[in-house]
Amino acid sequence: MNGAEAMVQCLLEEGVNTIFGIPGVAIAPFYEAMYENQDKITHILVRQEQAAGHAASGYARISGKPGVCVASSGPGATNLITALATAYADSIPIIAITGQVASTLLGRDVFQEADMRGATESFVKYSYLVRNVNDIPQIFREAFYIANTGRKGPVLIDIPCDIQKLTLKKEFSYPKSVDIRGYKPNTKGNRQQMEKVIESINKAKKPLICVGGGVILGQAQKEVRSFCEKFRIPMVSTMMGIGVMPKKHPLYFGMLGNNGKPYANKAVAGSDLLIIVGARVADRAVPKPDELERKVSVIHIDIDSAEIGKNMGPTLPLVGDAKDIFAQLLEADIQIDTSGWLTQLEEVKKTTVDHRVFSDRLVNPMTFVKTLSDKMDKDAIYVADVGQNQLWSADNYIMKEGRFLTTGGMGTMGYSIPASIGARFAAPDRQIVTVCGDGAFQMSMYELGTIAVAKLPMKIIVVKNRYLGLVREHQEKVYEGHYFGTQLEDYPRYDSLAKAYDMQYFEAWSNEELDGTLDAFLKADGAALMVVNIDSANNTK
Amino acid sequence: MKGIFSVLVENKDGVLSGISGLFARRGYNIDSLAVGETDKHDVSSMTIVSTGDERTIDQIEKQLNKKPDVIKVRRLEESRAVELEMMMIKVSYSATNRASLIELCSVMGAKIMHVTMKYMIIELAKEPETLDEFVMLCKPYGILEVQRTGTIAMSKK
Repeated sequence: MNGAEAMVQCLLEEGVNTIFGIPGVAIAPFYEAMYENQDKITHILVRQEQAAGHAASGYARISGKPGVCVASSGPGATNLITALATAYADSIPIIAITGQVASTLLGRDVFQEADMRGATESFVKYSYLVRNVNDIPQIFREAFYIANTGRKGPVLIDIPCDIQKLTLKKEFSYPKSVDIRGYKPNTKGNRQQMEKVIESINKAKKPLICVGGGVILGQAQKEVRSFCEKFRIPMVSTMMGIGVMPKKHPLYFGMLGNNGKPYANKAVAGSDLLIIVGARVADRAVPKPDELERKVSVIHIDIDSAEIGKNMGPTLPLVGDAKDIFAQLLEADIQIDTSGWLTQLEEVKKTTVDHRVFSDRLVNPMTFVKTLSDKMDKDAIYVADVGQNQLWSADNYIMKEGRFLTTGGMGTMGYSIPASIGARFAAPDRQIVTVCGDGAFQMSMYELGTIAVAKLPMKIIVVKNRYLGLVREHQEKVYEGHYFGTQLEDYPRYDSLAKAYDMQYFEAWSNEELDGTLDAFLKADGAALMVVNIDSANNTK
Repeated sequence: MKGIFSVLVENKDGVLSGISGLFARRGYNIDSLAVGETDKHDVSSMTIVSTGDERTIDQIEKQLNKKPDVIKVRRLEESRAVELEMMMIKVSYSATNRASLIELCSVMGAKIMHVTMKYMIIELAKEPETLDEFVMLCKPYGILEVQRTGTIAMSKK
């Protein structure tokens, strides 16, 4: 068996059945080995490597297993970096396999050589440069383990093309276990700290849980939700935590932060104990952490100890796996009465007036997201891109029991289309709707080719306002309406584009048209593209 | 405040750049960094000295611990650790002050490694603060060159 065949065998051992990539000479031996195994692993040829990374991210988020993306050396590999940085910021487990120039030529600046380990150092959880063909099984086993345990994240395997062609000395054998002496993720919460947490919950009069993406990554939604329900503790979420609780749940008080619900922020400010779970406490969610920590006691629960105390000093840190910790907390002796606090929050929710006004000239963006969510399946996957469309989506989408995918950490425009493609392969039978702005759409529209060839029934909605909307909004508010470099005008001609890729085309120009057009769009056979025209004067706040 | 970290790492390529990169991109200071093999050929030991507020020093420890190539991080308290740094210093002298320079070396426990008609190369291995003092004391003579290894440290426990 040669190195390339061993790589494919490793993927099979890990249960991988779909990979996303683009070949090149430096990764050609691997593709030759894939050719022999194409009945076992589907390869999806994307149109640019960044999309392979985002597709792997979408796949990972829905399947719960690491997504795999593949690129060749040099520019192919460097094109992956934005996707790796995105997955790193969002803690998504992906395995990136990149071809490299021959090991004998490393460091000589030969054609298509790029130092991928060096270039990705700050964007991956770990990286390997394979120097010995016999190490391949061990490296793959470790890579999958590191990517999908502890705080999840991307792992890079850079492999010179000559190593892929060398023969393994011994018969292929995949390691059964992993023992990395410097990597032992701590999952069980410290007993003493647990007791302190229980004690401080028992003392609290106005406790509030704030959930982040870590709860979903740790598959702890059920435990956290049951905990809130059992002890009647209200919840707010970050953008990445949307979906832990259905939007209409009586204990859910919305997304917090700059772009969140004002009443969610009031809930945070009014609480006496904030329990943060699997969230970074980054600037968009908590703009003034120092101020908050002076007012409120904070319990910070995270699998990554470095997140605790990084942006806000917690009163009580607890390192561990959210699923494990909340399973224990569910059984804990907690006696609290939050009825007064819940009534107070209900009142806050009722009396907090949303001052925003959306334009009904063309389609009202709020009406659009609400109408769309009403029509979506209970377990549907809503993939939002980045920008105004993302904030309107996060704000107005009525989450039931499905998933809300977006890149809240890195905010990479163009994420939604390739991420939806990945999600489609992880959940072929679930309804998936992609919502992006006309700016983000054009950063990934080349992926319509991938969709057409693979005959994927993707449903893509472009919320079109002819601008890079969120920057336009910033220019309006901060720079006296000096709109510069943000005009997209009326291109592309979306109907022609849909036709070019054999997609059905839909378009809505008014609130009246919206309902019927959305029905037809969602019911369409095969891939469909819908443009929702909105007034560019609409802002997010 | 000062943070002294004794870090055991995998002895393989890319580890040092990973650690120094971590300091660079997160804006942590490296006051000194010394690396060498331990008694195990596959384990290297690093002593990293940094300064920052309590939260930064705490973050450095946590961020170091996150790296799979980092086997163990120990934060050494200055009072409970012994520190050592080695320095070579090239100092010029004249006939009139030669004797006093030799006397200074003797008082400070420094060793004269090499002598020419115009300068001496002096070796000193002590705590970093003593090295700083010695540099100051040599200034009046005229310092031509200084080389320091960076601190190595060990817990007394």
